[in-house]
Amino acid sequence: MQINFTLNNTPIVIDAPPDISLLTLLREHLGVTGVKDGCDVGECGACSILLDGMLVNSCQLLAPQADGRNILTIEGVHDESGGPTDLQRHFIEQGAVQCGFCIPGMILAGEALLAENPNPDREAIAEALAGNLCRCTGYIQIVDAIEATARERQARSGQGGRS
Amino acid sequence: MPRFTYTRPDTLSETLRLLADPGHNSRLLAGGTDLLIRLRHDAPNFDRVIDISRLPELKIIEQAGDEVRVGSGVTYTEMINSPLLQRLTPFLIQAARQVGGPQIRNQGTIGGNIVNAAGGADMLPPLVCLDATLHLVSARGERAIALPDFILHPQRTHIRRDEVLSHLTFPTPPPGVRSIFIKLGRQRTSAISRLIVAAMGGLDASGRIDFIRFAPGAVTPRVQRFEEVENLLLGEFPTPERFARAGEEASRVMQALAGDRWSSPYKTPVLQTLTIRALTQIFPT
Repeated sequence: MQINFTLNNTPIVIDAPPDISLLTLLREHLGVTGVKDGCDVGECGACSILLDGMLVNSCQLLAPQADGRNILTIEGVHDESGGPTDLQRHFIEQGAVQCGFCIPGMILAGEALLAENPNPDREAIAEALAGNLCRCTGYIQIVDAIEATARERQARSGQGGRS
Repeated sequence: MPRFTYTRPDTLSETLRLLADPGHNSRLLAGGTDLLIRLRHDAPNFDRVIDISRLPELKIIEQAGDEVRVGSGVTYTEMINSPLLQRLTPFLIQAARQVGGPQIRNQGTIGGNIVNAAGGADMLPPLVCLDATLHLVSARGERAIALPDFILHPQRTHIRRDEVLSHLTFPTPPPGVRSIFIKLGRQRTSAISRLIVAAMGGLDASGRIDFIRFAPGAVTPRVQRFEEVENLLLGEFPTPERFARAGEEASRVMQALAGDRWSSPYKTPVLQTLTIRALTQIFPT
């Protein structure tokens, strides 16, 4: 069946079977392989995408559910010149990236959090990452990176304080 | 050859027409967090998926007179963000906050939790405390059923093939009543509940308990209020000794209802302890 949606600001029209997951559609039909298949049962978060701004597991959605919607994957996360965003830069600088497999999901979870709560404390960050597993880092550097990004953004916009 | 087709109706009445169609075995899709996992293990026993995840009729959260109405399509995130539910049913929010992680909460729905009726379903104990009534609709008409009567046993409910759970209602809790939801899982987040205690309580002017609802979860085949525990507390002053008796009674009722299971040596003392903990939190002593 035909599925129409916006992917990383690009309109997509694609013919695909209705009984595949959105994860399969993205990876195997559209070549968007930044979205990872970690568990296929909605537990690891490696397949996370932003669907109309909401963090969801693409393995838990059927491909046709993308119809009419706005999808952001890690491929769509970059600055105007195509280089890393501030969050991605902090991930690198804080040592939050080891094997890299969880990182696309972690970045999207971080962006989803900061969009809703620009001043999270470490507990709020950890809660926001509860659906994303990392087998390498022990999470501390990932939390550090998100915290540093929040602090930098607040400083840039001239607002201090913690919540 | 796809295993099933997909359709997304724009209205609830269109959905009911589709469900009434004898030419298809249809399965409703809301959050998808149960359905898509099941598709990994079992070949689908349906040939068509009907996507109801965006139906506006199922997204209501409102107070109408003495009653609160929550649509079946409301997600955990939508519940958590609802000022009405935050004010009236804080333990329902506590329960929703502890389901899965952010991704699951953004997709999963209260209706899906009820109709899937897993043994450790998080929504059931607080909704049973609230005396929730379920409203089912089909092309044949509507019916209402009390939540405890809706569940047969884990993963089996009285819903019929052509029915949609449209919404649930419950009486507005009396002012001053406090509520609590305690969840025990293998880890703090993204865990299936191993044991749940949900309770509501209020005191009269003399300091005696004049309102009490108590429903554990993941300990009996069907979620229900433990009226023996409630009767032990009603009209009494909230004291540690009374809570201890309530804890013992909760375990006794659990054993009577669930029988002796491999989990009994664990759940018996734990239910006792969590009962005391829940009562201590809702009744200032």
